[in-house]
Amino acid sequence: MLRRKLFRTMLRYKAQFISMIIMIALGVGVFIGFNMEWYSLEVDTNEIFEATGFADYRIFSEAGFTKADLEKILAIDGVEDATRYLSVNTTVQGDTDVIALTVNENMNVSGLLLMAGEPYDPESQDGIWLSDQYAEKNGVSVGDELTLTYKLLSLKGTVKGLVKSSEYMICIPDETQLMPDYTSYGFAFISPAMLKKAIFFEFYAQINVRTGMEKAEFVAAAEETLSKTTLILGKDETVSWAETQGEIEEGKTMGSILPVLFLAIAVLTMVTTMHRITANEKTQIGTLKALGFHNRRIITHYTVYALTIGIIGSLLGVGLGYLLGWYILSPGGAMATYIDLPSWALHTPLFCWAVLGFILIFLTLIGFLSVRKMLAGTAADALRPYTPRKMRHLAIEETKLFKSLDFGSKWNLRDSLRHKSRSFMTLFGIIGCMILLVGGLGMKDTMDAFIESFYNQSIRYENRVNLDTESVTNEEAETLAAEYQGDWSAIASVQLGDAPASLEVYHITQDLVRFPDEGTGYIELNDEGAWVCARIAKKHQLQAGDSIAVSPYGSDESYTLRVAGVTRAMTESIVMTDAYARSVGYDYQINTIYTRETQIEANKHILNAQSKQAIMDSFDTFMELMNVMVFLLVVAAVVLGVVVLYNLGVMSYTERYREMATLKVLGFKDRKIGRLLISQNLWLTVIGVVIGLFAGWGVLKYLLEALAGEYELILVIGPVTYLVSILLTFGVSLIVGLMVARKNKHIDMVAALKTEE
Amino acid sequence: MAIVELKDVSRVYRNGDHEQYALNHVNLALDEGKFVVVLGPSGAGKSTLLNLLGGLDNPTSGTILVDGKDISTLKDDEMADYRAAKVGFVFQSYNLIPTLTVQENVALVKEIAPHPLSSHDMIAAVGLADHVHHFPSELSGGEQQRVSIARALAKNPKILLCDEPTGALDSETGVMVLKLLLSMAREMGKTIIIVTHNQQIAKMADTVVRVKNGRVVSCENQENPLTAEEVEW
Repeated sequence: MLRRKLFRTMLRYKAQFISMIIMIALGVGVFIGFNMEWYSLEVDTNEIFEATGFADYRIFSEAGFTKADLEKILAIDGVEDATRYLSVNTTVQGDTDVIALTVNENMNVSGLLLMAGEPYDPESQDGIWLSDQYAEKNGVSVGDELTLTYKLLSLKGTVKGLVKSSEYMICIPDETQLMPDYTSYGFAFISPAMLKKAIFFEFYAQINVRTGMEKAEFVAAAEETLSKTTLILGKDETVSWAETQGEIEEGKTMGSILPVLFLAIAVLTMVTTMHRITANEKTQIGTLKALGFHNRRIITHYTVYALTIGIIGSLLGVGLGYLLGWYILSPGGAMATYIDLPSWALHTPLFCWAVLGFILIFLTLIGFLSVRKMLAGTAADALRPYTPRKMRHLAIEETKLFKSLDFGSKWNLRDSLRHKSRSFMTLFGIIGCMILLVGGLGMKDTMDAFIESFYNQSIRYENRVNLDTESVTNEEAETLAAEYQGDWSAIASVQLGDAPASLEVYHITQDLVRFPDEGTGYIELNDEGAWVCARIAKKHQLQAGDSIAVSPYGSDESYTLRVAGVTRAMTESIVMTDAYARSVGYDYQINTIYTRETQIEANKHILNAQSKQAIMDSFDTFMELMNVMVFLLVVAAVVLGVVVLYNLGVMSYTERYREMATLKVLGFKDRKIGRLLISQNLWLTVIGVVIGLFAGWGVLKYLLEALAGEYELILVIGPVTYLVSILLTFGVSLIVGLMVARKNKHIDMVAALKTEE
Repeated sequence: MAIVELKDVSRVYRNGDHEQYALNHVNLALDEGKFVVVLGPSGAGKSTLLNLLGGLDNPTSGTILVDGKDISTLKDDEMADYRAAKVGFVFQSYNLIPTLTVQENVALVKEIAPHPLSSHDMIAAVGLADHVHHFPSELSGGEQQRVSIARALAKNPKILLCDEPTGALDSETGVMVLKLLLSMAREMGKTIIIVTHNQQIAKMADTVVRVKNGRVVSCENQENPLTAEEVEW
């Protein structure tokens, strides 16, 4: 019979029942979803890293490595395996598409995964193993012929297989491009035999190494055995590794903030609601006790009620989490446009299940404690209806301002203070709603501003022309730049401390490249020193006037540079003028020209050209993802707002039912009573919105700081974001208020006032 | 002249196919300025009668004229205006707003009543001038009922409707409250209608209406009603 009562209780408090389930489902869903996201990414990327033997170190030499060099590296104690490796950007004949052509002697290191076609054959004379993503986007299939050109060389082959590679897991030509664009850039492997046939000798610019050695230890051993300073990059300096680790870290950060917000609101909603329900049912609880039911059975009854809510909410939440995870991590999901993985399996970290178990126990405990409180004392005590805390006078009541308030404001103010937990929850819901809105929309503003200042405003050229440094002299490059009425730069890798950085020398006369400063403006380069990017400045604690020493890879020279200021950049870089470079004796090699020309004519000195349009296009997918994320956050904010406010609104309505009935008897009209109810909500909304604005700003700031290792972002929140967040939150509050106030019409004055308190 | 007139009034509650007459074709006329006691056992229909007069409920059929105005067909808002202007209520369970002080509970009616009286005067009149800043929960039952009387009269209504006003009080306090209620209402020329099952109160009434099974059994005027002191409690 008690079971039947349980169902009726659920039905009677259906608004509360449903809203508690929704809140728990949202909390659990966001919690599982976000944690599943980073954890699955970790597991899935580790799988391909392992399966393809992702290298721990890459040693570079422009002169190339001999077989003997490889033997020396393999002989280092602690090196597990190594391979000679070459990757050059080639152009597809009859097209502008670029393919990173790769040759690898030992596929156990930095190898490939066959997705379709024939297995890789190291003896093949014409086989091309092409990126399956590039093949799909460009309509290439196994058996098709493909001709790749590099300078004057052309390589003709047949696509034998479609593959994936961990080295090209995030397939972007360089760090200026944020997202892969397989329509114009891909990768392919050919056999060492085919390379030898084409160029008549062996040339490998890289040795990739598998080892468990620490970087310092390995660098020392390698430099000793090769007897020269060489550029050695660890896996955390590769795009594939660093970017996925960045995504994982980002996921962990997101997985800690948002779910905590949602779960906290869910648990608090549960606490307040369970308390109200048991308080409302106090006489029933007392009746059961008076009838002779043991406390244990009554406690079980309400505890099962809370547990039921917890279980249904959690089940829906796990489903929601998987949906969220699947939305991000699936072959058609958001992450797949960024990272190229052979399989997208969803994995949930073990601690999530532990937390879920803990939440269930906690929710049950809430039910237990709520009902136990109502059962306290004798059966007669339990039978007495629940009475809220007695009214106490407040200090503010003595103020003139309070005395001048109308009755409605006094009523609402005292009521809010009397039912503190309810008011607090309302505030919390509104603040949560605001955080999601300001955070979500602000994130978009920040990224928009980032792209505007880093790309739209900084990139003022139409084409960026990469020169062949093997054939071009600085004089020839300058002449070429003048022909194109362009600016030029010399970009090289240097060692700064123990990490690599990009040293960039610019000659700017046409204002084609600009450098964002730490605010929203741009730096005017001068001949007084070099500008370091924010990440370098932070890492080395640099400010204007300090000195840094850099050493180009492949040379023993070291240059001391004076820091002129801090700039923001995509790559970790140091920028300076050519005049300053000359003044410190730095011997640069011009390798890039920037021009407004849209047509770049073939020239023996020109490797390839990258148009601004191509760079901007690569943001489309990125911005689409961003928009989807913002949309989801806005939806979550509205759902959160509506559910929390409606639940509390109904609760407040129930608690003030008798008071409203009294007002109605006195002659107050429904509309006026409704206005009183709504105005309380609106006052709390005003407070919540103000706190929420700051909290949203703070959360975004925290997120950006967590991302600071990846991007040099500055926090931008536009007026529209503030306006939309405020209006939307007020809108939600008002609509929910109206929904609740509409119930006034059904107040049964007679019944309400008959019931004894 | 009759201030309240019920013509063939019925209030029927439908429960599935079953019809129950809370009031069954009642005819009644009550004069202005009188003290009326409606007597009857539980479930006789006396509260229904009071709710209809107070504009808390509409009759199923029949006409109710109050101060010459037909209130039986009023819409929700018109009913609210009627309650605000014409009638004051005193309940057995006081029904004060717990979050408002004594002063504020009484002053509340200024928001709605067209011709309210000074809340200060009313509170003083019920003898609670020292308690204006107290919350209801800080007062005794009798004091709370006095606040509710002050609130009802502050609206300056023509009719005061009381539903078992002393039901929750001990007899001594009950008598005191009753005396206060009567003296104030009489002084201000109000019509008082008290619903009760307490036979003793009826002895003080100008008019006694007896109700049973939804019908008015009798309506008698008493020539010489007793004072509160004369009644044996």
